[in-house]
Amino acid sequence: MKKLLIRIGMVLAMLVVLNWVYATWFFEKDLRKHSDIVELSWDVIDDSCRIIYLGESSNNHYGDEETNHRKISDFTADYFPTVKMGDLTKSASHAQTYLYMLKHIPASSSVETVVVTMNMRSFGPLWIYSKLETALRKQLVLLEDHPPLVNRFLLAFKAYPIKTADEWDELVLEHWRNDTFNIPNLPWYNVADWNYAKYTYGWYDANGEKDWDVTSLACHYIKTYAYVIKDDNPRVKDFDAIVELCRQRGWNLIFNLMAENVDKANELVGNDLMLLFRLNRDFLLKRYGNLDGVTVVNNFSLVRDVNFIDQDWTTEHYYEEGRRIIADHLALALRDFYPDDYRNPDSLKMDTGHYLLSGTKTLDRQNPYSMTLVLTADSIRPDWDMVNVAFEIKQADSLDKTIFAVEKLDVQGEKSVDSYVVNEHVQKNGTWDFATFTLPIDSTFRTAQKTKMYVHNFSDSPVQIRNLDVSFRPAYLKARVKAQSYKSEDFHNGE
Amino acid sequence: MVFNSIEFLVFLPIVVLLYYLLPHKWRWLMLLAASCVFYMWFVPKYILILLVTIVVDYAAGLLMERYADQPRKKKAFFIISIVSTLTVLVIFKYLNFLTENLDQLCASLGMETHLMTHIILPIGLSFHTFQSMSYVIEVYRGHQKAERHFGYYALYVMFFPQLVTGPIERPGNLLRQLHEEKRFDYDNISKGMRLILFGFFIKMVVADHLGEYVDEVYGHLDEYNSWTVLGCMVFYSFQIYCDFFGYSTIALGSAKLMGFDLMDNFRSPYLSKNIAEFWHRWHISLSTWFRDYVYIPLGGSRVKFGRWAFNILVVFVLSGIWHGAAWTFLLWGFAHGLLHIVEKALRNRLPSKEPKSKWLKISIDALCVVKTFVLVSLFWVMFRATDFEHLKAIFETAFTNFHGGEQMSVKPGMWIYLGLFILSDIVLRNTRFDLWCDGKPLAVRWLIYAVLVFMVIACSSVANFPFIYFQF
Repeated sequence: MKKLLIRIGMVLAMLVVLNWVYATWFFEKDLRKHSDIVELSWDVIDDSCRIIYLGESSNNHYGDEETNHRKISDFTADYFPTVKMGDLTKSASHAQTYLYMLKHIPASSSVETVVVTMNMRSFGPLWIYSKLETALRKQLVLLEDHPPLVNRFLLAFKAYPIKTADEWDELVLEHWRNDTFNIPNLPWYNVADWNYAKYTYGWYDANGEKDWDVTSLACHYIKTYAYVIKDDNPRVKDFDAIVELCRQRGWNLIFNLMAENVDKANELVGNDLMLLFRLNRDFLLKRYGNLDGVTVVNNFSLVRDVNFIDQDWTTEHYYEEGRRIIADHLALALRDFYPDDYRNPDSLKMDTGHYLLSGTKTLDRQNPYSMTLVLTADSIRPDWDMVNVAFEIKQADSLDKTIFAVEKLDVQGEKSVDSYVVNEHVQKNGTWDFATFTLPIDSTFRTAQKTKMYVHNFSDSPVQIRNLDVSFRPAYLKARVKAQSYKSEDFHNGE
Repeated sequence: MVFNSIEFLVFLPIVVLLYYLLPHKWRWLMLLAASCVFYMWFVPKYILILLVTIVVDYAAGLLMERYADQPRKKKAFFIISIVSTLTVLVIFKYLNFLTENLDQLCASLGMETHLMTHIILPIGLSFHTFQSMSYVIEVYRGHQKAERHFGYYALYVMFFPQLVTGPIERPGNLLRQLHEEKRFDYDNISKGMRLILFGFFIKMVVADHLGEYVDEVYGHLDEYNSWTVLGCMVFYSFQIYCDFFGYSTIALGSAKLMGFDLMDNFRSPYLSKNIAEFWHRWHISLSTWFRDYVYIPLGGSRVKFGRWAFNILVVFVLSGIWHGAAWTFLLWGFAHGLLHIVEKALRNRLPSKEPKSKWLKISIDALCVVKTFVLVSLFWVMFRATDFEHLKAIFETAFTNFHGGEQMSVKPGMWIYLGLFILSDIVLRNTRFDLWCDGKPLAVRWLIYAVLVFMVIACSSVANFPFIYFQF
């Protein structure tokens, strides 16, 4: 026994020495080779970086036909020309990857604010049990909080889930079969049932023939988004850990909830899936939006169907217009931390009134209109195709009577109003929330003698508006925005 | 459960600890339970196939012994046992191949059939069915007493260190040892650890690094030139050797920790001077199985040359098919058999005088070793090719594309690992790593351990290569 104890002591001493050798001469090279995400943390984040953006493919995807390949993080950075922003983007990554990236940001860095992409899809079984998980988890082994030699040992002996594609698929199927919704008003028991019903009922084309492509896509939306995020969801645990880490390191934290193709989901699947969307979105907003030091930028339903690149699949890959919308929204949230550095790069800052940045104003029965932007026909430049509108709104409860109005007076003196219901874009009551719209500058816009833009509150409850921000720019893509037209007599007091 | 996994590194010490803590009468039960856990870690339901084989062969053993004085009955039980074991093997290993070929045959005759099955091969099936058959044959021949204790018999088939890729043990060796009461012995622990460490080195450092190159080249033949493909053939020869030798060495070490001595499976096969010697040194447990249960019953070498050649071809073709249900494996076995026959025919005709000069003898031996290695390496291409098309493409690229394609660069580390292995193979030609270490001073031993531990942890490939022989 004594001999055995001596040998154990010798083994331990040997391991200590080997760990030193490995940590000194081999570890960094191995990290760069087998855990390239750490390269991002080391190489992108230099001493002058004050904001970092962590993202996945939503940040760096662009349409085949697009000439502008700039990322969401690039567009956001345009708003803060005096603040250096670092971009840590790796396709298919999720909160666990971000957590490890953040852990490896050097203590010497000047990082003040961290923007973490929050992708609703990453909470679902299709992503949790994705075939890419084996490779992603393998990357993280060397980044564990153990001595370097122990990490390398864990990597050598495959201390990560090695599964074949079929085995991952089986886990997804198991989840679809066994994870029950238990939600009142939702007529489906689990994904398997719902998918079966949708597949059986299906979609039919104009000739009455079953449209298998659309049916499959509808089923795919169910399989992708039909789940209920709970406290024990692995991604929730990762986001919780990110909150904790950012607190420890004194970083401002912004979770950037990415836009999903709500239009298509609604069209293909309908209210039942919308119910789950709302439940899951509210879960995330409630869990993280109320935490000190954490801001959640809710882009969830901001991007319209036409701005999604993948029309036959579920992704968060946006055309430039979509990327711009999210960047604009994110920039508004970042402005709270960097008010003096904020510049609107696409706006014309001039005295002609093309650009409007209002102060806070309360709209109520006595004073239902916000500050109004007035344009004349000759002030609409030919290369402008789009208007971006963003403002912050605070309302007491759910309202459907606040609109953003675009009022046009044509040459005959006929007045028409396009209105955009604000409530569709506002998720939180009682706190400041963002609303953004992207409007097309069509022919009626160009021929109008006078165009006015303002927020109008019809209701009895007061609504507060601040930082109304209107900017014009060329179209990156011809985005369609659903608008409802009202005749002038529908309004009580247009001015 | 695979050996080079965290799970096994947790599992093994627990089993060894329990083994020594438990009284002898309960050890079989613990080892059997551990073996079940080990096997079920892969695909749990396939343990039922093992159970069927075990029950049938266990019963057959008892019945053959009971009816030892009634040869016809005894033979009937023997045949039932062999047929049932082979039926399991055919269904799970060869049915896909047979039905696919039947479909193709029918298609060539203008008939459309859909007989093709898609049965997944249970891991280690060829190994444990052969081990089970060796028991039945030995009992039938009267060389082995039938095992009365079902648990011990089940453990003989399922003993986890050698369950999935051998060595294919004989009852005379393993079953006997399972009954013996093993006492804790530091020497066994030390030797077992050495073997495991050395096995990890050759599998994880040498074989898996080589595998990265081999997979790259054989997967993208159109991108590389002949020199690269020829180099890759050499790499594959070492990859498959190190992969299988590594597994066998870890198996030997794991068993040794509990005091069990499994048979050696390899003895520096690439230092063989001819193909016959190669098969005395390569996968010894399988080649001796075929020798004892197929070759000798067919008449062995005590027959005329023609008959002997036939026996050899039968044995090697069977050996090829044993490895895998594909025409390429059959061709591989046939090629080895043919080479065996050609070499013997040449030896019979050439004068067998030993050269007088020591250096001339060494030079001739070296040339023979190189010749055997080159031929074996060429044959391994049949083993590695996924089908005949792939096989043709490999040989075409290897011999016709000397001026086109890329030359693959090999990292210096790879040459160091391979060089170290070749050196160890030469040094350990007539011994085993654990025994070789015994004769070295403590400081040298510990230096070797430190280097191996460091290489296994810090220099091992991080690619996930399952053991090649798992597929058999």
